[in-house]
Amino acid sequence: MAGRHACIVGGGMCKWGVREASYIDMVQEAAKECLGDIPGLKPTSIDGLLFASTFVGRRSAQANTAPVVAERLGLKPTSICARVDVLCAGGSTGILLAKGLVESAMSDVVMVVGCEKLYTPERWQVQYDEIAAIDHDWDGPQGIGPPPLWFAMIAKEHMKHYGTKREQLGLVSVINYDYGYDNPKGHFQRKLTMGDVLNATEVAAPLGLYDCCPLTDGSAAVIIASEEKARELSDRPLVYILGGAQASVHSVSANWPGEHLGDWPHLRLAAKKAYENAKISADKVDVAQVHDCFSISEIVEVEELGFCKKGEGGPFVESGQTKIGGTTPTNTDGGLLSCGHPFGATGVRQAIEILRQLQGRAVRQVNKAAIGLTHNLSGSNVEHTIVIYGREPRK
Amino acid sequence: MAATGIPFLEGRYSPTLDMWPIEAKEFNRIYEFYENLREGKFTTTKCKKCGRVAYPPRVICPECYSDELEWIELPKKGKVAVAVEKWAGVPICYEPPLIDAWIDLGEDSPVRHVLSRMVNCPPETLKEGDEVQLVVFDVPAHPIELRKETKMAERVFFAFEPVKK
Ligand SMILES: CC(C)(COP(=O)(O)OP(=O)(O)OC[C@H]1O[C@@H](n2cnc3c(N)ncnc32)[C@H](O)[C@@H]1OP(=O)(O)O)[C@@H](O)C(=O)NCCC(=O)NCCS
Ligand SMILES: [Zn+2]
Repeated sequence: MAGRHACIVGGGMCKWGVREASYIDMVQEAAKECLGDIPGLKPTSIDGLLFASTFVGRRSAQANTAPVVAERLGLKPTSICARVDVLCAGGSTGILLAKGLVESAMSDVVMVVGCEKLYTPERWQVQYDEIAAIDHDWDGPQGIGPPPLWFAMIAKEHMKHYGTKREQLGLVSVINYDYGYDNPKGHFQRKLTMGDVLNATEVAAPLGLYDCCPLTDGSAAVIIASEEKARELSDRPLVYILGGAQASVHSVSANWPGEHLGDWPHLRLAAKKAYENAKISADKVDVAQVHDCFSISEIVEVEELGFCKKGEGGPFVESGQTKIGGTTPTNTDGGLLSCGHPFGATGVRQAIEILRQLQGRAVRQVNKAAIGLTHNLSGSNVEHTIVIYGREPRK
Repeated sequence: MAATGIPFLEGRYSPTLDMWPIEAKEFNRIYEFYENLREGKFTTTKCKKCGRVAYPPRVICPECYSDELEWIELPKKGKVAVAVEKWAGVPICYEPPLIDAWIDLGEDSPVRHVLSRMVNCPPETLKEGDEVQLVVFDVPAHPIELRKETKMAERVFFAFEPVKK
């Protein structure tokens, strides 16, 4: 497709954690940081808004949130003003939709903002509400709404079929916390030792506390614009959205598509589609932000995304390939494990880190990064979403 | 459901916070699943046109979109493929540990695996290969407003339990 290209121009996020703030407060904080990254962009020059959130309509009394967000942010959208609800992949979905809107010339400058306020006045709701985030009538009453159980099964299966070791899972957390240590906006800024990980409270064996991402309030915002607008708005190197994919092949766990739970064909499908769409291959990815909702998730994802062979995710991490200097530095801002996971905001946070990496201004900079990838899984591992970014437009 | 802080909703039912499905025939077209469950049968729908078995039950066949479906029984016994226990972050509707299993219903079953909560199962006992069976239990009823009066809709749901050796 010749013609218009979509670029990511700037982004910012509020402080993530257990926040004394409402969703609409955090959205404003994130938008301020985002526009602070693009001096010269006025709110009224933004013609589209996509608001990614799953739980805002449930953990607050507000439905139809997009107009509320637009008004509080001083936006007057004329091309699109809508909410996107794809749970953990809402932010990335917003970015893919914004790309389509910009490339089709329907929009010129779109803000994608994600936010979740997970902590309600009574704490029980934080876990209980998760029952609504999966296939409610079938899997909900079976207990995997809060997903650690499901991912503990995945970890056991991966260990059984591929010989993955407990310490290899732990290493994912140690590495990602190390990356997150200098990210002041993330939920945690601390270093972990393998001892911390192995001796932590058991959540669902083999997963302990540090193998799980925390429950986090937070918001993040980015601006997606046409190449022409991006040039007007910023002197920094352009970062193009090369392509992406979103694959959804089942919803109820009984329809799991793999041979066993450590086999994720739906992610392979999304990856194949995304690489074809972006006209690149896995070995071209210089830096990746993958959905490390649990330590085991990252291990399976680096395999299915093609960064290493199937079954070799554990050794891949162990041999330092996800660190700076490795073949595919991964979750360089701390990932979900250290930054936390306010569902709709996560994909936006990942996009901000890739933007900074590709512009050479990341805190943990990957040398000469030219192609970056973000990945999210959503729900009870039922959908996979990938976005690919590059310094050069798609060939 | 008591609604603390919202006095006029005291005693009102709101599906938003309900963890169980609304099973009553006034509100869905697959209520036979729950009626069968009440008789101890684990069922789903099969397409009369193309033979496709779909779980969970449907009102159309996801293969050929025919709406001529019949109910068939699924195995009520299976073997544990993987079992896990959750100790932290268990939602208020369960007591920790919350035990779940990925259950293999066998090569001949049109639905190969189901994920289920395990009940009547002491912690740290369930292993790969253990035989388990369907168990049906009552779950809380909810009101349905009819023209003049309100009736209570009784409900059941299912889990699995270890087969006693
Ligand atoms: C693992 C989990 C159950 C722990 O919850 P919990 O036991 O209720 O923990 P609490 O909220 O009581 O927090 C207790 C302490 O542990 C810390 N903590 C909680 N979860 C943590 C996590 N996942 N990682 C690191 N620290 C964590 C808290 O910051 C708190 O620290 P403090 O005492 O210094 O303030 C919870 O974090 C969880 O459910 N995580 C998974 C979230 C998830 O599934 N997201 C969707 C993924 S797709
Ligand atoms: Zn059919």
